[in-house]
Amino acid sequence: MTAFILKRLGLALITLWILSLIVFFAGQILPGDAGRAILGPLAAPSAVKALDHQLGVDQSVLQQYWNWITHFPGTSQQYQAPIGPILTTALGKSLKLAVFAFIIVVPLGIFGGVFAALKHGKWQDRTITVVGQSALTVPEFVSGIVLILIFSVWLGWLPVSATAPPGSGFFTSLKYLILPVIPLVLILFGYIARMARVGTIEALGSDYARTATLKGLPRGVMIRRHVLRNSLLPTITVVATQTGYLIGASSSSSSCSATRESAC
Amino acid sequence: MRGGNDELDRLRGERTELENHYIDELVSGRLDRRDFLRRGSMIGMSTGLLGAILAACGGSSSTTTATGSGSGATPSSGKKGGTLRVAGVTPTGAVNPLTLFDAGGLLMLNQTGEFLIFDSNLKLALQPMLALSWKPNADGSVWTFTLRPNVTFHNGKQMTADDVVYTFKQLSDPKVASNALSAFTGVLTPDGVKKVNATSVEFHLESPNGNFPYLVSSDNYNAIIVPNGTDFGKWQKTFVGTGAFKLGSYTQGSGATFVPNPSYWGTKPLLSGTQFKFYDAQQPMILALQGGDVDVIAQFTPAGATQLLSGSTYKIITLKSANHRELSMRNDQAPFNDAKVRQAVAYSLDRTGMVAALLGGKGTVANDYPFGPRFPSTDTTVPQRSQNINMAKQLLQQAGHSSINATLFTEQYQEIPELAQAIQQNAKQAGININLKVETQTKYYGKATYGNSDWLDGQMSLVDYGDRGVPNVYLVSPLTSKGPWNAAHFKNSQYDSLVKQYVAALDLQTQKQVAGKIQRLLLQETPLVIPYWVDGLTASTPSITGLNPTSIAQLYLNTASMG
Repeated sequence: MTAFILKRLGLALITLWILSLIVFFAGQILPGDAGRAILGPLAAPSAVKALDHQLGVDQSVLQQYWNWITHFPGTSQQYQAPIGPILTTALGKSLKLAVFAFIIVVPLGIFGGVFAALKHGKWQDRTITVVGQSALTVPEFVSGIVLILIFSVWLGWLPVSATAPPGSGFFTSLKYLILPVIPLVLILFGYIARMARVGTIEALGSDYARTATLKGLPRGVMIRRHVLRNSLLPTITVVATQTGYLIGASSSSSSCSATRESAC
Repeated sequence: MRGGNDELDRLRGERTELENHYIDELVSGRLDRRDFLRRGSMIGMSTGLLGAILAACGGSSSTTTATGSGSGATPSSGKKGGTLRVAGVTPTGAVNPLTLFDAGGLLMLNQTGEFLIFDSNLKLALQPMLALSWKPNADGSVWTFTLRPNVTFHNGKQMTADDVVYTFKQLSDPKVASNALSAFTGVLTPDGVKKVNATSVEFHLESPNGNFPYLVSSDNYNAIIVPNGTDFGKWQKTFVGTGAFKLGSYTQGSGATFVPNPSYWGTKPLLSGTQFKFYDAQQPMILALQGGDVDVIAQFTPAGATQLLSGSTYKIITLKSANHRELSMRNDQAPFNDAKVRQAVAYSLDRTGMVAALLGGKGTVANDYPFGPRFPSTDTTVPQRSQNINMAKQLLQQAGHSSINATLFTEQYQEIPELAQAIQQNAKQAGININLKVETQTKYYGKATYGNSDWLDGQMSLVDYGDRGVPNVYLVSPLTSKGPWNAAHFKNSQYDSLVKQYVAALDLQTQKQVAGKIQRLLLQETPLVIPYWVDGLTASTPSITGLNPTSIAQLYLNTASMG
């Protein structure tokens, strides 16, 4: 077991090292110059040269790679500040939004899917399916702006910004998160509900469900104990794979809200 | 009136030859009151003195005394207190006074930092800020600045000549990564910055420069005065300056807060604080203003802002600006090596239509030379060019073409892609077929050197130029034979010599005379086309008063009030 773990760790380190090479050298191949990017197109060539020297980007590529890897994560050349806090602040904000969206969309999606399955073929089923699938096709940056227009600009109920003022309490912060969370919920609801619906319909039609019903088990107990336990497995898998999307997409959703929630 | 003339004689007796020259111009009517204020302030005449001279000449004085950072705005009598929430563009990098160049960064810089001189767009005059007065020697090659006494930095240290000398030595040092070098190269070197005494500094220039005060004013946005020995790379931790506000907090990529500076030398702020929120694009800023999340948008462009410009829901401050777009054509390559072809392009453009459609009317038609309504030296007798498709076709035929094909490179920035399309459509009517290449700014500017940049190498190239208080940069960099941004590859020794004369000229009449010659020469040669000047725009909710913006995205707030 120890050998296995050590082997996996060793492979992980090699993978990370190769990744670092790709990231670094891909950055070198891209056109542009650090000093020019920081000072702008109209800066004097002498100023660009001085800044390039100050940043060390006029050294050999291998030397630059060594400097970078030995001072990782190091200092942002662009922001002249340590990279660690820039990343953690941004990640913290993205996580907050993702967790809030997760707490809302997962129960809502499962409930919607199961309810649709129970009303299979009826108008409730069709409504949930059509609404869910339609919402899935609207990108966050479109639904975000429409929601801001309705709830912030016209009705004035919710703040435009995604960031609560400094020192705000828990509920105030939550209020600022409502608008950016809705586009994420809209995208994921249709997906999760569809999986939950299909799983539930399959489970409802299974032999064990029919047996349980014939045994005289009340419908609610039968659904809770037998149908959901089996039908939700694929849904849980889908939820897990969507978590990454949730963190990534939360930055674009909050960008639609007026202030940047996650620094990119 | 006799009493007035006695007073004028008394005032004249104490003035230099150049100052008396301007008084002569005012008395003779060749200089109107506004231009007298602009020019007088430029050579260091105090606002009080300018007012006294105007009063002695029979007019009422409308000058205001300096009130500190907000001296361009009418001192507000609004209510005290409240936190003003301002939307600004996210700074693209570190807030470093030496290196920054972006609108978001320079908006931050001026919240706590002050300049020797404030170039007020509202008053269209230079106003004393950390310098009390300034004057040139006889030929304008040495400028002496007297500093304001009893000014302290936010760290409690008193501001002296040592701080000013340190700041300008750093800004003008070619071995330092200073963005101000684009203004100081060929004008000022570190050796030229000399302390006279604790409250006086001299600038010994490389050649005479009649407009030097603009280069140490807020126009040169890097030039805030910092304490001697400041590490510019760490400045964003303290935002140390002399301004009416000092740093509360600064959060990278998110926003900043500022609180009043109790030991400020000028008018103390009415607000109890300011809060800046950063946005990556203009549309979210507009939504934030509409949704009540902010009270002010520091600066916006007319493109995509019809919600703000139509109706009277918001207060809009419009500043006449020299912000413009330049369409250069390769003067050294066929078919644009023939001036007639270049003129044909110029005559094909519907400039009035462009101002209406692309800027919502918030701009002024321009005339293919970098002199415009912003500059008092502009010779206004030169006729304006307007669309004339027949003439454009004739010019092409005279040059031996029935039609031509060309490629235009440009950048994705503000309304420029739409302007490029408008140029393409207009030019087509005259038989000029333009193929558009709209690129990201990184790709378009490239390395910003000849041979490595679509901006400088393209057959036709459309670029933006930000506002400046004087046209010197526009005249030198993109148009002189050795200019670093000469995308037109225009080389004309007569032009070079005229520009040299213009830069050195100290008095307005000489500047106007030379400007007229430059304007006519550039119309004749048409190395580039300038379709319009873009106004500077600031928006706020109706109750906000006392805002003092500049057309390069600075915003002083010490006279601002919540209403």
